[in-house]
Amino acid sequence: MRIPLLLGAMMLAAPASAQLRVDINSGISQPMPIAVPTFPAATPGQTAAGSTDELGQRIAEVIANDLRSSGLFRPIAQAAFTTQVSNADVLRPQFAAWRTVAAQALVTGNVTANPDGGITLACYAYDVFAGVELTRQGFVTTAAGWRRAAHKCADLVYSRLTGETGYFDSRIVYISETGPRSKRIKRLAVMDQDGAGHRFLTSGQNLVLTPRFSPSQQQITYMSFEGNRPRVWLYTLGTARQEAISQSSAGQFQGMSFAPRFSPDGRTLVFSMAVNGNTDIYTLDLGSKRLARLTSQPGIETSPSFSPDGSRIVFESDRGGTQQLYIMGADGSGQQRISFGDGRAASPVWSPRGDLIAFTRFGGGRFAINVMRPDGGGERQLTNGYQDEGATWSPNGRVIMFQRSSRGGSPALWSVDLSGQNERKLPTPLGASDPAWSPLLD
Amino acid sequence: MTLAAARLPPPPPVQGSEGRALAIAGAAHVVLLVALSFGWQWTSTPLPMVDEITPVEFVDIADAPRVTRPPEPSIEAAPQETTAPEPTPPEPAPEPEPAPVPDPVPTPDPAPKPEPRPQAKPKPTPPKPEAKPLDTQTLSNLINKALPKAPTKPLNTSDLAKTIQAAQPKNAAIDPRAAATLAQAIRAQVAPCWNPPIGGADVRKMTVLIGAEFQPDGSVAGNPRVISQTGTSGQNGDYARAFAETARRAVLRCSPLKLPADLYPLWKSVEINFDPEQMT
Repeated sequence: MRIPLLLGAMMLAAPASAQLRVDINSGISQPMPIAVPTFPAATPGQTAAGSTDELGQRIAEVIANDLRSSGLFRPIAQAAFTTQVSNADVLRPQFAAWRTVAAQALVTGNVTANPDGGITLACYAYDVFAGVELTRQGFVTTAAGWRRAAHKCADLVYSRLTGETGYFDSRIVYISETGPRSKRIKRLAVMDQDGAGHRFLTSGQNLVLTPRFSPSQQQITYMSFEGNRPRVWLYTLGTARQEAISQSSAGQFQGMSFAPRFSPDGRTLVFSMAVNGNTDIYTLDLGSKRLARLTSQPGIETSPSFSPDGSRIVFESDRGGTQQLYIMGADGSGQQRISFGDGRAASPVWSPRGDLIAFTRFGGGRFAINVMRPDGGGERQLTNGYQDEGATWSPNGRVIMFQRSSRGGSPALWSVDLSGQNERKLPTPLGASDPAWSPLLD
Repeated sequence: MTLAAARLPPPPPVQGSEGRALAIAGAAHVVLLVALSFGWQWTSTPLPMVDEITPVEFVDIADAPRVTRPPEPSIEAAPQETTAPEPTPPEPAPEPEPAPVPDPVPTPDPAPKPEPRPQAKPKPTPPKPEAKPLDTQTLSNLINKALPKAPTKPLNTSDLAKTIQAAQPKNAAIDPRAAATLAQAIRAQVAPCWNPPIGGADVRKMTVLIGAEFQPDGSVAGNPRVISQTGTSGQNGDYARAFAETARRAVLRCSPLKLPADLYPLWKSVEINFDPEQMT
């Protein structure tokens, strides 16, 4: 061994300021271990949703669940903790104790019952190994709003640790399905992105399809067969008001309309309408009720989806012989095909980040969720079920939710992240299809 | 079906319905009458009222005292404080003479500290007399493990020269072989602790150079610092910060590093460049 021989020379030669330089080109890709202990009460109190102690426990559970569901974090089991967080610890965590359970980050805070019956949730995140605070934010809400406050805290932590915006304080609207295939009852339903707060919006008397949120989340547009006439409807949350939009301007809305979506600014609806046997894409200005026809090809043009900047629309068309994806300007200009290759492509949805389009790829008797760039390049398959279809993006463009059907079974909602990892099934009371993810709530 | 509860919109669309209905067929008269009585706004069967979204308001919360690393004693340092007799305060001799004796455990605090407090400080430096004698065998094993193929060949000066260039382009003061070997050993230990956020859109173009100081026992002294970063833009500032923090965390998590004590002067201060280019 020559090493010892070198030592002497080295010790003499190396000046104190010598800098050793190391290059690291790879690491690991694992969920980050994170501790989310029960949030203590700032001062113990009662709220309409339970005691501050109970809320502190449930809030920690919601936050841990959110972070776990992203696939990027691994909340450490409470049973493994060597310590809990007292109210005094919130501002001065015992980092050494959290290091012993290998937590890389600590999420903590406290709950206060406010005199007006509401609560304040204080949320802090710490880097355990560096021993520094990373972020903090307070949330004031009603006692019933504790879940939203917890989701907001989880979004804060997610965003600070990943550098991306969160998506936990958001909702899903979808079609709840029950009954035999020939006599399926379909109802509009909404729930939080984690499945909590589930509610049915329609009774099931009429067939409903393709619900989509408005950007403000105050409205949902969808297609309903109400009155035995398939048309696009608007449902306003809060007032439960339903309105058939395609009956307004004199004489213009004669055909069947379907596949509606809002523009990113919420002022325009884009949808398909079949007039005289030809299905084309139209936009409707919700303020002026002006209708514009964007396509005029003889084939079927449908499933339009705006780019996040509102300047372009991706849609599907069979004008070339099979269902394929096309892109055009928001005024219908410059239509060009972007999907090629084997099989058909349908139901495109533009990512909120703008960089990708998710869609359903049909081939070999199966459906899969694929993504590709808006120029048609870089196509990747994300899922590999029997029938996976109907993609919708999380508000930050990192997760895709879709409906998965097995042979003979009811469809269910699943999510997958952009890497194709972390497939998860969402809990729904009945069969579930056609999900649409809301933007982040304000 | 029930009539719309309220709020008919301003434009009177009844004419539209009427015109369309008339155009359909004479046979639809009954239907037409019903339709006209509804107007164009409908509600379906009564629906459950869905609550408005519960508002959540953002507020500032109590300032956490900014906890910095120094006052936080290391995990094993804390209990030692009660038992350790005292950190040899009486002899404040700074002994500034640069004794060239290769002291295996350099005591790096030359400041005599005239503070009156007798034993309050946790004294992070040398609580244990790790006066390990130089174990060349262990050292060789360690280095060999980290550098699998280097020692198999006889010394080739031309190869050596290349290694020198690669490992240490500018600083001729560091022995190149030792530097390359140490770099391997550090890489092998730190890389498994690095969990970069590879999902981000800009990760491919991002690198971060971290500077870290080490104690003789291989533990990190203080918090590693970000020296420079590439791939940042006005848009990805939050992501760049999170990215840099994963690199810093990697160094902290892997502490203490197992490195040859004899070469401590070489790895006392290290720059580590994190670049996820080879990650899938």
